[in-house]
Amino acid sequence: MSTASMVPPATLDVASTPRTPFVRLVQVEWRKMVDTRSGFWLLTITAGLLALVMALIVLVVGLNDFQVDARGISQGMTIPVSLLLPVFAILIVTSEWSQRTALTSFTLEPHRSRVVLAKLVAVTTLAVCTIAVAFVLGALTNVLCAAVTGNPLEWNLDGSELVWLVIQQMLFFAMGFAFGMLLLNTPGAIAIYYVIALMLPLMVWGTLYAIFDWAKDVLPWVDLGFAMAPLSTGADPLGRPVDVEAVTYVQTAFTALVWVGVPVALGMWRILRAEVK
Amino acid sequence: MITVDRLTKTYGGFTAVDDVSFACQPGRVTGFLGPNGAGKTTTMRVMVGLTPATHGQVTIGGLKYHDIPNPGRHVGSLLDASAQHAGRTGREILTLGAQTMGLPKDRVDEMLALVGLTETEAKRRLRNYSLGMRQRLGIAHALLGDPAVLILDEPANGLDPAGIRWMRGLLKGYADRGGTVLLSSHLLHEVEQIADEMILIGHGRIVAQGDRNTLLSNAEGATTTLVTSLDNQTFSEALTKAGYVVDPVGEGLRVHATSEQVGRAALEAGAVLTDLRSGGAGLEDLFLELTSTTQRDAVPGGPVHEHMPALPPMPPVDSPTAPTGGPHA
Repeated sequence: MSTASMVPPATLDVASTPRTPFVRLVQVEWRKMVDTRSGFWLLTITAGLLALVMALIVLVVGLNDFQVDARGISQGMTIPVSLLLPVFAILIVTSEWSQRTALTSFTLEPHRSRVVLAKLVAVTTLAVCTIAVAFVLGALTNVLCAAVTGNPLEWNLDGSELVWLVIQQMLFFAMGFAFGMLLLNTPGAIAIYYVIALMLPLMVWGTLYAIFDWAKDVLPWVDLGFAMAPLSTGADPLGRPVDVEAVTYVQTAFTALVWVGVPVALGMWRILRAEVK
Repeated sequence: MITVDRLTKTYGGFTAVDDVSFACQPGRVTGFLGPNGAGKTTTMRVMVGLTPATHGQVTIGGLKYHDIPNPGRHVGSLLDASAQHAGRTGREILTLGAQTMGLPKDRVDEMLALVGLTETEAKRRLRNYSLGMRQRLGIAHALLGDPAVLILDEPANGLDPAGIRWMRGLLKGYADRGGTVLLSSHLLHEVEQIADEMILIGHGRIVAQGDRNTLLSNAEGATTTLVTSLDNQTFSEALTKAGYVVDPVGEGLRVHATSEQVGRAALEAGAVLTDLRSGGAGLEDLFLELTSTTQRDAVPGGPVHEHMPALPPMPPVDSPTAPTGGPHA
């Protein structure tokens, strides 16, 4: 109220306030991720799991004088990353609804898609950072193993495989984000994510794939992990080395569309028109 | 400054807000009054773009809320003081707001001091806040961006008497400096002391608006007077002779004339008056009368001026059973 006068103007002087820069929205979303206890513990536990996996690999290798290579380590290190990080992606969306902070977020930035995009950028940055940390720790593990066992260092990790492994992690991550957007409900989104991303591939698809021939044709069209296996591991889901064919890319794109693209589109549609209570 | 233009919001077959139009002027406090479920909150939520309107629109300073850049700097709103992350501290909640709006950090300290939250209280998490403290924090959040317009839904809810008085002073001063204030309440006495203008809403429709005097003069029974004199019998005859209709009511008389006319009649008749007041419904009666259109909500006995009215049954809460925006975790 700096411009107090006898007859106050009935319009707003909006010239002095440019619209909120996107970078600032991202910074705010980043802060929201780590300023609560759930955020803090999620990060701490992920870091703890990374250290644990690292220690276990070194221990097992040291005790058994077992030859390990960078490829194996990289697959071990993705476990803690893929296990807990998607929960971040889910929480950053759903907590706005369960804690009802969307009321404030969307009042301060009524362009809701900008808020959602800022969340995606913030949580993706976090994912990239975590993967980078996991990568450094993995390399360290490889060096340690070699030192403990006296075996020669093996840097046999294929560059393209590594890139695809990162892309795969990011897609699973985006899948969590998408489910969060679609359901706007924390327990529901986490449960569905774990069923689709972890339980079905491990317990159902894996069995079917091993037993039935038709499953080998069908499952890469159904599950993102099965579709991408040749790209990220250089082997089929049973561990037999395969070559990457053109159809692999199509399957990857198709499953990514089904599990990431479609829920993101539907979720965005829902958020944009939802009445924020 | 705030212009609500033929606003309608329906949920399926239920009409929460029905063709509502009004305006809030700068430099004035506008009170938005109505019983539970009358459509106050829905109207305010449409104002800040949280609820889409079915028909009509709301503009603030000529702009739709959606088109105001960095709206927190122009419009401060408090719709639900509990709609904040329970695990964040009061200070953190304000800091996030200040950061979003691009405000300096010391603005947070200023606001905490303004609403009387101490340093220790600001470090506690919201789940440990009382409703009154949440309300204070919400007001601090609304004021963060030094906005020209304030939209507050039931801001006095949960505040102690000292807090309510403090808030009244705050909003009054805010309007005196040229700000536009819209505050809602279902409690009349909360609003009538502070609002320059009142809008009464019931069942989604505006039933009356204007300042206190305008509302009272339009009220039913505004032209009757209640009078008691030492000798009602004689005075009653004098009034009848003067051409006024007189009904005995309790210990006194109800005269269909203004207080001034009855006073003059008493002067002429040489009657000694012990009580003389307007027989119009008080603001509260008016409020209840206007906002209750169904029989079950009506106060028995109509405009209450019996000496001891029977206690009315608690009116049922006719809150809208609106579909929610999404499942709540």
